[in-house]
Amino acid sequence: MAAYDIIDHTYDVIVVGAGGAGLRAAVGLAEAGLKTACLTKVFPTRSHTVAAQGGISAALGNMGQDDWRWHMYDTVKGADWLGDQDAIEYMCKEGPAAIIELEHYGVPFSRTDAGTIYQRAFGGMTAEFGKRIIQRTCAAADRTGHAILHTLYQQSLKHDVEFFIEYFSLGLIMENGVCCGVMAWNLDDGTVHRFRAHLVILATGGYGRAYFSATSAHTCTGDGNAMVLEAGLPLQDVEFVQFHPTGIYGSGVLITEGARGEGGFLVNSQGERYMERYAPNAKDLASRDVVSRASTIEILEGRGVGPNKDHVFLHLDHLDPKILEERLPGISESAHVFAGVDVTRQPIPVIPTVHYNMGGIPTNYLGEVLIRKGDDPDCVVPGLMAIGEAACVSVHGANRLGSNSLLDLVVFGRAAAIRAAQVVKPNTSHAPLKARAGDEAVAKLDYYRHVKGKLPTAAIRLSMQKVMQANCAVFRTGEVMAEGVRKLEEVRQSMSEIGVTDRSMIWNSDLMETLELDNLMQQAICTMHAAANRKESRGGHAREDFKNRDDANWMKHTLVSYDKKTGKVSIDYRPVHAYTLTDEVEYIPPKARTY
Amino acid sequence: MSMQSPLGRVRGLGSAKSGTNHWWHQRLTALALIPLTVWFAVSLVAMTGRGYDTAVNWLASPVSACLMILLIGAGFYHMKLGLQVIIEDYIHVEWQKLTLLIVMQFWSWLLGIASIMAVLWVWLGG
Amino acid sequence: MAEFTLPQNSKVRPGKTHAAPTGAKRTKKFKVYRWNPDDKKNPQVDIYEVDLDSCGPMILDGLIKIKNEIDSTLTFRRSCREGVCGSCAMNIDGTNTLACTKAIGNVKGDVKVYPLPHLPVVKDLVPNLNTFYAQYKSIKPWLQSESPPPPDRERKQSPDERKKLDGLWECILCASCSTSCPSYWWNGERYLGPAILLQAYRFLVDSRDEATGERLDNLEDPFRLYRCHTILNCTKTCPKGLNPAKAIAEIKKMMVERQV
Repeated sequence: MAAYDIIDHTYDVIVVGAGGAGLRAAVGLAEAGLKTACLTKVFPTRSHTVAAQGGISAALGNMGQDDWRWHMYDTVKGADWLGDQDAIEYMCKEGPAAIIELEHYGVPFSRTDAGTIYQRAFGGMTAEFGKRIIQRTCAAADRTGHAILHTLYQQSLKHDVEFFIEYFSLGLIMENGVCCGVMAWNLDDGTVHRFRAHLVILATGGYGRAYFSATSAHTCTGDGNAMVLEAGLPLQDVEFVQFHPTGIYGSGVLITEGARGEGGFLVNSQGERYMERYAPNAKDLASRDVVSRASTIEILEGRGVGPNKDHVFLHLDHLDPKILEERLPGISESAHVFAGVDVTRQPIPVIPTVHYNMGGIPTNYLGEVLIRKGDDPDCVVPGLMAIGEAACVSVHGANRLGSNSLLDLVVFGRAAAIRAAQVVKPNTSHAPLKARAGDEAVAKLDYYRHVKGKLPTAAIRLSMQKVMQANCAVFRTGEVMAEGVRKLEEVRQSMSEIGVTDRSMIWNSDLMETLELDNLMQQAICTMHAAANRKESRGGHAREDFKNRDDANWMKHTLVSYDKKTGKVSIDYRPVHAYTLTDEVEYIPPKARTY
Repeated sequence: MSMQSPLGRVRGLGSAKSGTNHWWHQRLTALALIPLTVWFAVSLVAMTGRGYDTAVNWLASPVSACLMILLIGAGFYHMKLGLQVIIEDYIHVEWQKLTLLIVMQFWSWLLGIASIMAVLWVWLGG
Repeated sequence: MAEFTLPQNSKVRPGKTHAAPTGAKRTKKFKVYRWNPDDKKNPQVDIYEVDLDSCGPMILDGLIKIKNEIDSTLTFRRSCREGVCGSCAMNIDGTNTLACTKAIGNVKGDVKVYPLPHLPVVKDLVPNLNTFYAQYKSIKPWLQSESPPPPDRERKQSPDERKKLDGLWECILCASCSTSCPSYWWNGERYLGPAILLQAYRFLVDSRDEATGERLDNLEDPFRLYRCHTILNCTKTCPKGLNPAKAIAEIKKMMVERQV
């Protein structure tokens, strides 16, 4: 291995990732007076939170009476009872305060005539425990993620958060089961850095790019999840991948659920509003897994639109052009650019597209990473926290409700900062690291930097994505997933023939994409195995050979660990928390899920 | 290569808390110059081929002299403001910029006052 | 003097040509600026012939295809690929814009791709935006108010007050406008440039912000604000269809307004 000069840093807390969750945590940590650094591989406002469109849910009650318990019920039901209800209670109860805080930070929310925050209808959001659709999703036109991310970055500037921008994280530094820091590579000047800290908070987002077609950004490669796997820790519930019903056909660009919240609807080739058949009450505003399955069935049964009958239409052309201009300007632009469609006159061609990972790093509602140790399924990993899409708290269970993810980011970003301030006393001294701490991460970098195989990174990545797309899609069967496991193993083995051309250390994006592929591969394999393992249908995991939810055997979280050397996956379980956080609300027992 | 932080460089010497007058006066003079220039051009055309005395008589009338002084004042002031912007835009070596600004200002005042004096000479002295 | 020609070591030379695969029927030449910080060579323009029949519709699709299939050393920033993150701003066909929303079909002739103008280049199409980001921080781009907000409610803002922010808060900080402005080229360290002034105006007209005076004080400077000579390249180039020139004009109006 070539010699790398390593630059050392010492902080109280390191936040990895500067999306909504990472920035909210960083702001909270700075306010608490902890010496904090925020590492990010892209400039903060380029993080994928920026692409969130429709809104952020909370029971503010600006559009009529609302109650956080109703919100909690919807979330539990949306999660198909795989969510931990203590965490869901925390999120829904803290929701209104979190939104108010964002408003005070300066988020330019759209307004009602009374001057309060405008809220729109969203999938699965109801009043009085499922009785009727409610407007609960706070919106800044259809660019809510942009509004929130930019505002949080502004707050981080106000609080002088220390950023390390365009630093790519290479791996966690673990000593005796305790996380003591993180290794990173500075793309700008090619230096390698060792960040020592009492606490590392992973806010690295999802891994949508494991699939061929995703609404996710190119940078959504789940680097934090992979670092956790490499540290020998498990991921939780990764078989639950959300397909968003309305990705633009072809490009996969997102069209917000808010489009249906404002009155849009889906039709098949016969011009039928088919959601009326699948969800008589909520119709187009059923939760995403339901709508995605419905669209997939329509296409599979030959009622798709287009020359190949392989997508459906989303109609907005009946809406008042003024509403479209005011509340849905972003998607009007996207539809025009990526589908050549004028939404005031034509329907948008859409198809269910990979959108969100419900699974991730298992944590409690404080953000602390958990592992199972003997009889204790909720044992905290010292020094390590996870938040945002990277984490599995689990508030989204088997299926996330639209607009709950932005809420997840800010609520648990804040919670993590609060917890960190309790755990870490400012400027506590650090125990010395072992002599060669972080060497493994540097060795990985060095290996891929000089690897001379004949397969380009892009070719292997494409093979992996194609397998995931074909064998781990909306509908799954044991047979198809077994084939997926086999095929992924072949792809994994082809990694030994990978070749990188660029040998530079400065902005070597060839190398960075290879490291990201290495990260994606581990998560793809875990996802496929976990999916093949779960023999029931629940939320986003729909099996044709096990059509029903099986609470007796499967109301439990999957824990997947991965041995990178052998490619072997091992599976364990954690019980779902069948209790609430306080006695302000009662546990919501499972029942049949209809919309 | 500077080792100063980007923020330090950008903040630099701070806000000069001026510039609005410059900008405003440039617009005002531009506005004033529109009718004045039209008047001047029309007058010139009208006097074409009518000899030196006609021109002197024209300038010696109080209205013409007043307008002429206004035209010269606004014109040179506008020129000074404009040249200042051009120098600031393109000259980045501090001493060169300063020298040019000084020379330009003196030159503008000199030409402007000399021109006004000439008008007064014709009006009052002639 | 402002520099009107490139220094010797920045003069762009012709580079390698990568021919289209045999059998490609519909091809387009991408002429891409390349510069590698590791060797001491001058920048060069490499030519890649891309088979359009197996390529997505946008310039970014073309660049990714080149990186995936022809030359994996080609370096550029990209992320959302839908025009909201601002990573892939570059100079395409002579105009600053986002590679992900610029269609290949809209470029006549060869596709010339350069980094954003007049910024230090880190590598290939990746410019150094540190000054731009520092300028953003220098305008204190966060809501400032002394009146405490209602403790458990949002601050009220009427729809009309909120409407004033439209066309401002949507800016994605891609820097296309600022780096298209000649005035920013010549005085980029002292002139804030259109993107940052647009953001300054976003806070100046936010009915919830109480620091308008201080903000105007901070901007009132021959260079920070008044280097804008209404060239309007900014508005012409903005890939999001925003109008920074108008925002700057509004700031200038506010400056006069508070004096008369």
